[in-house]
Amino acid sequence: MTSAKPVRRELTEKQLAFWMLLPAALLLLAVVVYPVGRLIYTSFFDYSNGPLNPPYRGTGNYQQAIHDPDVWNALKVTLQYVLITVPGGMLLGLALALLANLPYRYKWPVRLSLLLPWSMSMAFAALIFAWFFNSDYGVVNDILRRLGMTAPNWLSSPQLALLATSWAIIWKTSSFVALILLAGLQTIPEEMYEAADVDGATPWTKFWQITLPLLKPAIIVALIFRTITAIQTFDVPYIMTSGGPGNVTTTIAMLIQQQTLQYGNFGYGAAIAMVLFLFSMIITGFYLRHIQGDS
Amino acid sequence: MKKMLAVGLTLFVSCLCSAQAATTLRVFVGGQERPDVMKEIFVQYMKAHPDVNVQLEVGGATSEAQQQYLSTVLNSADSSLDIFLLDIVRIAQYAQSGWAEPLDSHIPNKAALMKQYLPAYAAANTYNGKLYALPAFADAMFLYYRKDLLTKYRFAPPKTWDDMVKIAQTITQREKDPNLKGFSFQGAPIEGTVCSFLVPYWSAGGQLSSTQALDPNNAKKSLQFLSDLVKVSKVAPSNSAEIKTDDTRRLFQSGNYVFAHLWAYGWNRFQEDTDSQVKGKVGVVKLPAMTGGKAATCLGGWEWAVSSYSKNKAAAADLVQFLSSKQVSKYLAVNASNLPAHTSLYNDPDILKVNPWFKDALPVVRSAQQRPVSPRYPQLSTTINSNVNAAVAGVKSVDSVVSELQSKVPALLK
Repeated sequence: MTSAKPVRRELTEKQLAFWMLLPAALLLLAVVVYPVGRLIYTSFFDYSNGPLNPPYRGTGNYQQAIHDPDVWNALKVTLQYVLITVPGGMLLGLALALLANLPYRYKWPVRLSLLLPWSMSMAFAALIFAWFFNSDYGVVNDILRRLGMTAPNWLSSPQLALLATSWAIIWKTSSFVALILLAGLQTIPEEMYEAADVDGATPWTKFWQITLPLLKPAIIVALIFRTITAIQTFDVPYIMTSGGPGNVTTTIAMLIQQQTLQYGNFGYGAAIAMVLFLFSMIITGFYLRHIQGDS
Repeated sequence: MKKMLAVGLTLFVSCLCSAQAATTLRVFVGGQERPDVMKEIFVQYMKAHPDVNVQLEVGGATSEAQQQYLSTVLNSADSSLDIFLLDIVRIAQYAQSGWAEPLDSHIPNKAALMKQYLPAYAAANTYNGKLYALPAFADAMFLYYRKDLLTKYRFAPPKTWDDMVKIAQTITQREKDPNLKGFSFQGAPIEGTVCSFLVPYWSAGGQLSSTQALDPNNAKKSLQFLSDLVKVSKVAPSNSAEIKTDDTRRLFQSGNYVFAHLWAYGWNRFQEDTDSQVKGKVGVVKLPAMTGGKAATCLGGWEWAVSSYSKNKAAAADLVQFLSSKQVSKYLAVNASNLPAHTSLYNDPDILKVNPWFKDALPVVRSAQQRPVSPRYPQLSTTINSNVNAAVAGVKSVDSVVSELQSKVPALLK
């Protein structure tokens, strides 16, 4: 059989790598590179007179965005959401994870109550909280009235609207944080705590000296994910307040949705989306430099 | 077995052929525009036109939600929808964007047809001299009041807003019911709030269109009126900046309000809903006027348009003419209590039997004013409603809202 050698060329390692990576690369090209490229392209055109043959506008959309007080207000609101809901979600998430990691005999009720908010859609959670904080029929105001206190208008007074929506976001996102941290907690070897017990460490010292340092990689992952989703905050204020009162809870993502899907200003909306992209790059860059750099 | 397969295959192929022979028309209707009743009407049409298959696609409940969906579909030049039911304020945008097909060439006797409708609807569906849609039904805003309470304290329905405030104050004070409030209107950042602002603005003498700029004095009067309802006379609740259109319906229906500012659909719900606490206790009149001004109201209504990306435009135009016919208008009036856009139907005995108040509604609908016509209407609407919302919530002062409207509105009316 040696005489009839099959004529088959062996692929070099490089060629093999090329063919193996091609499907993934094509997929990325279709779902990431093309839409992003299209977005950048769109951001140079003027759609304000309708979508038919929009004229080229150069950097006009970007200049308009820089001078638009609505964009600056939305950036401010978005930053407020980041500053309130990221630490809030992280702290609550950590507390929940520690609770779920306690050596109970029945872990499932705690874990189930952890998973429930996580598996719920953001919009659905927002609807629940919209009723929760409803000034006439909401349970929050009902309790306040029963206690003889004044029941405020949660969703139409500026500070309270920001707080009420932030609370909904914290409640919803803390379970995601908790899930990541719980996974991190379970990788910490039990022996370390046993060794600490032998040394007579208090629970407080164990938390600061063992749990927190070993949990740091998980915390960073959760922090980055949580921050990116906070920068994109849309669903909760959209449903609970429609961005009101006035534009006190209008985030940058809501502004993009308004400009593109409601007004049809795809060019200007694309330019604001680029601003959002820049905004999240700056914050993520800050993290990578100052937080991950240490470890 | 083989034979059965062959028969099955033949049947299947013949089904396919007959399905291909028929024209399929896909119609988009919002969730709150009674898709259930619309479906019955499609069935009637299909009976008369066996070669046409009409499919219903139900959209979001609010005008804004439908707008978001349709603008996505139409921006991608998708031909899957043939006909859509549009809020009256959207015609200019759909015409300017090239999304709605001009109907002039499809309607041979256009002039005669348009005469059947209330003049406002003929005008609202025309943009730059071309006809882009035909009316499905009419609408306007009314003042609903508690007939039982007004009779008890011997008040006639108010003719001016000041009277309304006085009556509401008197009744709420004397009733001594802590749950009873005076007046519900829409103050949330939604489309309906544009009307909450325009009604007193028009009544005070203001006009707003591409040729008539925002009048700051009347804008101030209107905003001050809304703000005072919440903060000074307090006949409107302190959370008025949270109230959306259907909230007003729900609140009035719960029996806790003396007056409500709402569209025509409220009547049917107040009388028919099982949880309605105000059955038989409701009166409806035209909206009051500002003192020294003329009563005004907002024109509403929904319009049938043909998609310019439809592959069956002629068939779609034919269906649209059927859907806006007198016969269908009557069916909608009887079965969904929708106000007809046909002038002659307001005296129809079958309709009046179900909706006795339609008789008095005709002069109100006739006098209703259209919101400003602009291809940039969605942006104009958000600019007005978020600012009015800020004034009602007390986030911004009336003066700062007026100056913001003055600086932003002109560019959006071009």
